[in-house]
Amino acid sequence: MSRRHELKRRAVLASLTAGLALTGTAWGDQESPLRLGLTPVFLDNEWQVLETLRRHCIELTGRDLEFVQRRTYKEVVALLLIGELDAAWLCGYPLLQHPDRLEALAIPVWQGQPRYQAYIIAGDDRSVQSIDDLRGDIHAYSDPDSNSGHLVTVAELLAMGERPESFFGTTFFTFGHRNVVRAVSRRLAGSGSVDGYVYDALSVAEPNLVSRTRILWRSDWHGFPPFVIPTERRHSTASAALSQALFGMASTEAGRDALRQLQLDGFQPPRPDSFDSIAALMNRVADRG
Amino acid sequence: MASPLTLPLSLRVPLIVAGLMVLMGIIASQLVMTSLVRSQERQLADLARSEFAALSTTLAPLIQRQDIWEIFDVLDRATERGGGFASIRASLVDGRGQVLVSTRPDRHPIGSGGMDLIDASVPVDALSYDSAQEVISLREVVSYQGRPIAQLVIDFDASTLVAERRRTWFWLIVGNAAATGILALAGYLLIRRVLAPIGRLSREMSEAGATSRAFPDSSIPRRDPELANLYRTYNAMIRAVEDRSMTERRLAERERFVSLGRLAGTLAHEINNPLGGLLNSVDTIRRYPDRKDAVLKSADILDRGLKQMRDVARSTLSLHRNDQSAIPLTAADFEDLHLLIRPEVERKAQELHWDVEASDPCCGDLPSGPVRQIVLNLLLNASGASEPCAALGLKVRAGDETMHLTVWDSGPGLPLHLRPRLLSDAPVEPGGGLGLRLVRDLVRSMNGDVSLSQTEEGRNAIAVSLPMKHTPEIEDA
Repeated sequence: MSRRHELKRRAVLASLTAGLALTGTAWGDQESPLRLGLTPVFLDNEWQVLETLRRHCIELTGRDLEFVQRRTYKEVVALLLIGELDAAWLCGYPLLQHPDRLEALAIPVWQGQPRYQAYIIAGDDRSVQSIDDLRGDIHAYSDPDSNSGHLVTVAELLAMGERPESFFGTTFFTFGHRNVVRAVSRRLAGSGSVDGYVYDALSVAEPNLVSRTRILWRSDWHGFPPFVIPTERRHSTASAALSQALFGMASTEAGRDALRQLQLDGFQPPRPDSFDSIAALMNRVADRG
Repeated sequence: MASPLTLPLSLRVPLIVAGLMVLMGIIASQLVMTSLVRSQERQLADLARSEFAALSTTLAPLIQRQDIWEIFDVLDRATERGGGFASIRASLVDGRGQVLVSTRPDRHPIGSGGMDLIDASVPVDALSYDSAQEVISLREVVSYQGRPIAQLVIDFDASTLVAERRRTWFWLIVGNAAATGILALAGYLLIRRVLAPIGRLSREMSEAGATSRAFPDSSIPRRDPELANLYRTYNAMIRAVEDRSMTERRLAERERFVSLGRLAGTLAHEINNPLGGLLNSVDTIRRYPDRKDAVLKSADILDRGLKQMRDVARSTLSLHRNDQSAIPLTAADFEDLHLLIRPEVERKAQELHWDVEASDPCCGDLPSGPVRQIVLNLLLNASGASEPCAALGLKVRAGDETMHLTVWDSGPGLPLHLRPRLLSDAPVEPGGGLGLRLVRDLVRSMNGDVSLSQTEEGRNAIAVSLPMKHTPEIEDA
């Protein structure tokens, strides 16, 4: 995807956000647009997808869909918790950080399963064979609250008996899985922690970007990043409309087009154990103190 | 090879004008380029300051937060904009001299030494635009809330400006060369036109002695008073030369008569001497008409006396005739000369040595009149300059191509003050005759040579060499 498209997407999102601030919103307003929080972690370069999703939502539910984008998970979660958003597409880690305030509404199905892997990638010109070879490396994380872009790697280093804060020579956050790939591809970082779904999707959409990297390590399977709603809004019309839109993706042409662009099969309701593996990683980190 | 300084004036002046035009073109080009470079430097400095200001404002809080990715993203986008004098590489070096972020992380990874970047760059305020550089590396300190936190080093692509300067150079050179060439050619033609009258005058003067002639009034450039005056002066000079030449010819003519005059008395004596004997013979014939032996003897005396008188008269007439230049020289001419000079020599009781080895055809195409005049003048001069009872002589040797005439005497030789008359073309000093100058002119007219020499016996002589195969234009002497 070109940089021009990315800029256009950001302009669209900015205008959407500005429009939201000017018009004001009210809970339960049947006519008000649904407000969905996003971070660049997932959709950093796919404004066409957002527009397709919006058309699908309008067509299926009669309600408009607005996208509110922030740089970090923390910002999006904060907006979600204070009621500025109806829902947000987050990953399991921030969801599990607020188990009493947030709950999963729907989980995407990717390659037939509602789960994904985290990758540790390195430059394609490097001869490293394992995580251990990355000692002293410059490493790019995605987001401090990202499961695949941070938690998995930290937990794996702990499992290896390493100290995550000193294993790498230098670490930094890019606040976007695509940015992690870009940092490694440009050799700003020697290695990076990235969402396996985003990496595979980029290898199709932007092969030139991905071609200068290679997958060094794959994690276990974890619950796919879900659409999250505030628990107290579980029975709101907004949640109902969003559920209708997500579970009915295949019922409209725009919905099917959006799934194709997102390289997803559809959505399904979460199971109680969908994010247990992530919880285990969190416990491992928490146990370390 | 001729030195440029020896070129003709009509070529040298236009060349100097052309050279000055080229020099002016070079100076003008240099001034234009200097101005262009200064202008580009100001333009670059403004662009660089603007770029640094924008980036520093954006980067300062990111540096403060150590947000490496955002710093990289900002710099990466800034260095990918493209355009003229675009930033193509950027690096941030922290206070410890380590690279914070670089858009060339493969060369300057995070945490690597950044002092080489600092050393290779110059402060943006000290921008100096070197023509050889297509990449200019500049740096500036980034401050946050008044505190310096890093140094930003940016490499700017100046190739478009360098290319522009090269294009300017090219067109300056082409334009100036064309303008200089045109102006130089115009200057050349103009100066040639201005100097044309001088050139004409120069050509006329270079032909001096041959066919130089005065310019007609119609060809005098009247618009230029200086040139007109020069032409008139030249005409006056030519006329003076012609007058002098005419005078010399008249004097030479007179000299011939003078020579004859000097001979006249001797010749009268030569004729008078036999007259007594002849008259006696006539008287004897009248007195003794019956004595056959006396009549025959008297008739013989009359015959010899009249023949001698005839020869004297013929020789005098030959010398005086003007048309002898076309008659070839023969051995009889030397006999005539002997006949003519002998009475003068005898009158002064001098001893004449006549050594002529010539038998017809002896002398090729040499003309009779001028050679006779040469020999007679030299012999009369030798006789006149010698004391009574002195010796003088003529020696003639005809080779295959050259005839050698030597007139000598036992005197002290040709006086110094008279030598220029015989040996140079210098003007003849007043006083004295023109006999020697006439000899020189006649010898030169026959492409011959005259010089002072000595005989084998050590006597002073004048030697004349005359080429026999060549027949030049000969003026009547």
